[in-house]
Amino acid sequence: MEGFAETPDALLRVQLVSKSFGAVVALQDASLHLPTGEITGLVGDNGAGKSTLIKIISGVLAPDFGTIEFLGKPAHFASPSEARAQGIETVYQDLALAGNLAVWANVYLGRELTIGPKILHILDKRAMLSRTGAMLERFIRNVPPIAEPVELLSGGQRQVVAIARAGAWGSKLILMDEPTAALGVTETKAVEDVIFEMKRQGLTILVISHNLDQIFRLTDGVWVMRRGRVIGYRQTAEAHPDEIVSMITGAAASAKPRA
Amino acid sequence: MTHDRWSRLAAVARRQGVLIAFVVLVSAMFAMTSTFGTYQNLINVLQQNSIIGIIACGMTFAIILGGFDLSVGSVTALASVVGATLMIDLGTPGIPIGILGAVAACLLVGATNGWLIAYLGVNPFVATLGTMTVVRGLIYVATNASPRFGVPYSFTTLGLGRLFGVPNPAIVFLIVAAALGFVLHRTRFGHYVYAVGGNPVASAQMGVNAARVRFAVYVLVSLCASISGVILVGQTASATPQAALGYELTAIAAVIVGGAPLGGGRGRMIGTIVGVFLLGVVANGLNLFGVSPFWQPVATGLILIAAVAFDGYSKRGSFGSF
Repeated sequence: MEGFAETPDALLRVQLVSKSFGAVVALQDASLHLPTGEITGLVGDNGAGKSTLIKIISGVLAPDFGTIEFLGKPAHFASPSEARAQGIETVYQDLALAGNLAVWANVYLGRELTIGPKILHILDKRAMLSRTGAMLERFIRNVPPIAEPVELLSGGQRQVVAIARAGAWGSKLILMDEPTAALGVTETKAVEDVIFEMKRQGLTILVISHNLDQIFRLTDGVWVMRRGRVIGYRQTAEAHPDEIVSMITGAAASAKPRA
Repeated sequence: MTHDRWSRLAAVARRQGVLIAFVVLVSAMFAMTSTFGTYQNLINVLQQNSIIGIIACGMTFAIILGGFDLSVGSVTALASVVGATLMIDLGTPGIPIGILGAVAACLLVGATNGWLIAYLGVNPFVATLGTMTVVRGLIYVATNASPRFGVPYSFTTLGLGRLFGVPNPAIVFLIVAAALGFVLHRTRFGHYVYAVGGNPVASAQMGVNAARVRFAVYVLVSLCASISGVILVGQTASATPQAALGYELTAIAAVIVGGAPLGGGRGRMIGTIVGVFLLGVVANGLNLFGVSPFWQPVATGLILIAAVAFDGYSKRGSFGSF
């Protein structure tokens, strides 16, 4: 693979994965790996296959061909729940939280604590309320009021909660599809702070973004996709935005420095 | 008066609007007519509203889920016809069989609703309008549209009897409301009803089986309707194929007046109970003042519109521009 020296400590390895929808080839022999503890970017034009790849990693879609290795072992995720059980969490662009539920209820959604007889599944609201604060404080400096419905929070606060929730459950890998697409400058900064804090605490992160400035701010390395293929990797510190743009557009041969 | 105090008052009114309206209404009724507060009249109010109340308890789940169930009237009639027929044919020993048969028939309809809505993705309006019409038609076919008389008289204990002076239907209503209120507000299943009603996509992403929750809710609604149908048999010792016509709309109205908007994600069981009795006391009041019963749907409709308009207005007031 162009630009990437094989590292032994990849948390996740995608090898020669292909996926077609009818006659449309969404992914063709896509291979990449995510170095443990790093923030890795995934860029490419619309339709390049980024979202399909992230859905295969998170268990939403099954690959037609190819393999995925997680923690050095072959992984077959039949559903997002299975991927989550292994420590892979996904943060979606929107729709990630139920607006009518309180912050604590969203943090615990699908993982509710219960008390009493097993068949009744009585909610242990007190325990969930008291633990949510600490779970979010692990990544967020100003935790929003955890008993308030999420719909009363700003868009940035919501996304911060969604991302912190993904990190709070002992996960090892966080996948983010355009985590700041709908946010303003200050809110984007807050979200990026959370992402940095996750890296500081040892989590591995994959970020899809169309915002190259953000990719260069956040990531240690970036994979570039074009037309269903993964065409290359660059260490962010050594790469130049123009080079990434030309890789995305396929204009590498004709890319010249501007006068 | 400061703006702050106004907004705090507005917040209280918004959250407790129905309850305030109910308390005002009941106080006015006590003040205006001596008949209202009599034991006999209060018993009447309980007796008359328990059947619709039990249905409304189930309907609360469907509405919080973001749907509703139009088939509950037909299902109530189905329960009473099936139950009464079995009891008439088998006599007193057939009473438990009649109850079980009525419930089973209704669960079948509920499972059909749930399957159509949860697994085939049919719109709740279309699915339950369909089963409402089909079930009512089948009842007419099976009975030739004539009533069934001759249920063992002992069974009227359920519909007409009292325990400690409280009508038995009201006691059943209380038990159903308490049990379903517990399920809705204290258990994981109830929590998932809110979650799926608020954001089905996010719930599914977090591992909530939204289809199973939807299926279970529509089965639960039919179960409530079956209880009402059985009580109906107990009130008349008979069953009429035309029973419970329009109950679906009264139940939906009670739930909405109680603060659960169509669209889902919101509402409380206590709100539904207040909504049921608000509409019930208004009907009772019209009756006590000698107003023609034809005015009752007019009043129900106006209250429904007023409740929804107030809800919309108070929301704009708190989040809007002024």
